[in-house]
Amino acid sequence: MSLDPSAILVILPEILLVVLAGVVLVLDLALKDEQRRLIGWVTAGGLLFVIIPLLFFFRPGDNPTLYWGGAIRVDWLSFVFKLLAFFGAAITAILAMDYEVIGKRGELYLLLIISTLGMSVMVMATDLILLYVAIETTSIPLYALAGMRTKSDKSVESGFKYLLFGAMASAIMLYGFSLLYGMTGQTNIYALAELFQQAELSSSPMLYGSAIIILVGFTFKISAAPMHFWAPDVYEGAPTPIAGFLSTSSKAAGFAVLLRVFLVAFPEYAPQWGTALAVISTVTMTIGNMIALAQKNIKRLLAYSSIAHAGYALIGVSVASVLGVTSVAYYMIAYLATNLAAFGVVAIYGRIAGSDEISSYAGMSRRSPTLALVMLVAFLSLAGMPPFGGFIAKVFVFAAAINAGLIWLAVVGVLNSIIGLYYYLTVLKVVYLHRSENDEVPLTISKSSGFALGLLVVAILLIGTVFAPWFNWAAQAALGL
Amino acid sequence: MIPDIVLFIILALVAVASAVGMLFSKNAIYSALNLILNFSSVAVLYLILGAPFIALAQVTVYAGAIMVLFLFVIMLLGAERLRRSETLPYQQPVSIILAAILAVVAIYALLFRPLGIEAASVANPDFSSPAAMAEMLFNEYLLPFEVTSILLLVAMIGAIVLTRKRQRRVQR
Amino acid sequence: MDAALIIEWIIKSILLLVICITGFAYLTFYERKALARLQVRIGPNRAGPFGLLQPVADGIKLIFKEELIPEKADRLIFVLAPVVTVVPALVVLAVLPFGGVVNLFGREISLSVAGDVNIGILYITAITSISVYGIVLAGWSSNNKYAAMGGIRSTAQMISYELALGLGFIGPILLAGTMSLNGIVEGQRGMWYVVYQPLGVLVFMIATLAEVNRAPFDMPEAEQELTAGYHTEYSGMKFALFFMAEYVKMIAVSAIAATLFFGGYRGPFIDQVPWLGPIYLLIKVMILLFGMIWVRATLPRLRYDQLMAFGWKILLPVALLNVLLTAGVIMLFPGLGV
Repeated sequence: MSLDPSAILVILPEILLVVLAGVVLVLDLALKDEQRRLIGWVTAGGLLFVIIPLLFFFRPGDNPTLYWGGAIRVDWLSFVFKLLAFFGAAITAILAMDYEVIGKRGELYLLLIISTLGMSVMVMATDLILLYVAIETTSIPLYALAGMRTKSDKSVESGFKYLLFGAMASAIMLYGFSLLYGMTGQTNIYALAELFQQAELSSSPMLYGSAIIILVGFTFKISAAPMHFWAPDVYEGAPTPIAGFLSTSSKAAGFAVLLRVFLVAFPEYAPQWGTALAVISTVTMTIGNMIALAQKNIKRLLAYSSIAHAGYALIGVSVASVLGVTSVAYYMIAYLATNLAAFGVVAIYGRIAGSDEISSYAGMSRRSPTLALVMLVAFLSLAGMPPFGGFIAKVFVFAAAINAGLIWLAVVGVLNSIIGLYYYLTVLKVVYLHRSENDEVPLTISKSSGFALGLLVVAILLIGTVFAPWFNWAAQAALGL
Repeated sequence: MIPDIVLFIILALVAVASAVGMLFSKNAIYSALNLILNFSSVAVLYLILGAPFIALAQVTVYAGAIMVLFLFVIMLLGAERLRRSETLPYQQPVSIILAAILAVVAIYALLFRPLGIEAASVANPDFSSPAAMAEMLFNEYLLPFEVTSILLLVAMIGAIVLTRKRQRRVQR
Repeated sequence: MDAALIIEWIIKSILLLVICITGFAYLTFYERKALARLQVRIGPNRAGPFGLLQPVADGIKLIFKEELIPEKADRLIFVLAPVVTVVPALVVLAVLPFGGVVNLFGREISLSVAGDVNIGILYITAITSISVYGIVLAGWSSNNKYAAMGGIRSTAQMISYELALGLGFIGPILLAGTMSLNGIVEGQRGMWYVVYQPLGVLVFMIATLAEVNRAPFDMPEAEQELTAGYHTEYSGMKFALFFMAEYVKMIAVSAIAATLFFGGYRGPFIDQVPWLGPIYLLIKVMILLFGMIWVRATLPRLRYDQLMAFGWKILLPVALLNVLLTAGVIMLFPGLGV
């Protein structure tokens, strides 16, 4: 195989990311301390520079194509989730600029970029080897990012916990991959799918076993039960913008992989794993929402809420239909914008208030009405209120469940949304109705953060109102799988 | 054929014994040494299978480089004496049950071959020559290979970020 | 497998051991003589003609020395460590071709223990990578701070220089297009690789000095700072084993360097008289060994931090550059005749 130019062209975004990472490294060396905030802009700008050509010139055609010996597949699923990863990283870079000390370290942006690169490869990968390498490329920078505030014990704990959990989960997942390879001698999931249609393999208990083992790794990435234990501690200790990144881009990429591997490689067994995922989804939603009720720390609350949202999105995966995949993709689009906004507000306010306790949010609406408004939008969207993105997303997911005859699952989802509404509103109550002694001290929001939040609010509103283009993307992603 | 099987059984016993020894050693240095022995015996197994390249890479990378670093860190920290780590009360029974299940499944798979897989197919004797490996690595698996290089780089950067004290800017 | 082949292997292995051990004995003598000359002394000249029996006398003395094992030492590892040190040193030469193929008693016999294997160089890197264990374990098991310090130093040093060493191998591999040592030697039919690889040779030589813990990189046994480093607590034959390992390794790396860069067993009339191979190799090894001794007599020991800085900041980039240049030139000018 000689390298043909089109193969290079399809990984051009990834190559550009590597170049960007190099630029960031050099800038970190060249710039003085006070200038190093600029790197955040360079990162965000660079990611935008990658997004724009991707959006306009590198749209996948109607026929998905395989490149690099079948290791990657250029289709709408990878396209949509790639955009999500890049967008999430760009916003995170802007939000991270204001973060004390580490916001001025070039390494933060470098790790962020490489992690994004990992996600971008992850959502394209159709070969188990490449998939595993990509998942590691995503995770390892995230471990370092979570523990980057080395002076804070919580951050170190967060990084360590994430590392240990992550290493364990990916080891188990890799074992599952190796079992699949051992059974079939294949690592390409499309080739595996063909093999599994043969009768002798299809009833093998080995197959179920390895599917479950692989699921362990994936549920870890999307923080679904029972692999969700890491999320609250990691989110709480990690720098807030990074926690936002962890809960959005990383999770979205995890969902993309979950969809691709399970729907492509094991479509024959969709009833079985669909039921398993429906159960996981129920447990995840319920655990996330129930425990979120008792949280005093906003980051922990958002962590549990993010677990619950993984549960909602899993409904769409478990129905294993085109509508289901569409709803998952749409859910991730809406969730990414919403949760980034929520973590953005927490990052800004937490830096000024010096605390992430929910009680410290008292009087926030008087100190900065705009910030409170953004929080309102984000939290209502998380709760699934119209006219925000979260509402439409939830509607699609529940519709997919009803369409597939899983009415009980939809009911569980709706009930859970009601619980969710309660704790989101509790926070908003503190923000708007409670008072504190420094009510009168106005907050200043830096231009960069303001810009990022503004962008996210617009996105949330757009996703919630003008939903046709996003829906089309999501539907095409589902069809092209 | 017979010498191969005898050799295999001996090596397998060594590998298993050293793995068990690694787990139960009270001294971290002995654990590390057992692991080295384990890696080496696995390397010889590769050699029997006709994969000298992988065997020697295993020795160089695992038994050589990585385990030297392990020993280095253990010695540098003076962490030879392993303390009995605290375990949750249910850990031991659960682990025993799970191990038993695994053993049963493995034996079942071995005896009944539920997958209908007979003997492993004989690979092309040239499959693991350096040239064949390179051919494979740099054609079919070029992309994973390159991504791995980035992965290793970023792992290194991550480790440095987390451990280095940051002073140089002040002095300049 | 025919019995003759097995017998051939056994004979070759025993021969290799004999060569290594005699080589060790006379290398100590060679070094003492050469050092003495460089320092305007005469050197050992009492035992036998020209002092030629000196190594024998040394050996006998060491055998009769008392063997001590420190009370708090880890006995098993303490006893094992010298063996672990010596074995890699002895077996590393198994893939080295001492000559081409000769005809003996009607059999075609290749003059290397393992014959012509296509992963010869990998074998060497594998063995060198595990050869550090003996020293580390000796240092640790002695339960002596100087010894432990020596052990830790040697670990760090050998890991650091192993990289440069490995990259040094790559030049000849690229030029010959094979990892077989016979192939590399045959590739030097026209011109020794030292001509194409001046930088590579330099890197390789420096890295090997560090790998065998020779001056100026003899940090692990720096007597002024660490008494005797990792073998402080060893005496008698166990000490002799460490000594032996160091000198056998010197021979081994010299032979490897000669093979990779200086035409190995090749020389004039080699094609007509294949038995000349070992002799040519011996001459080359002697010259390279003299270089090592010369360096020891000339250069003072580096400071430890200098050693590490040199390894990582100078030697490794230079080695990488060399690989890059070599590969680039081979890519761009495929017709250079290499």
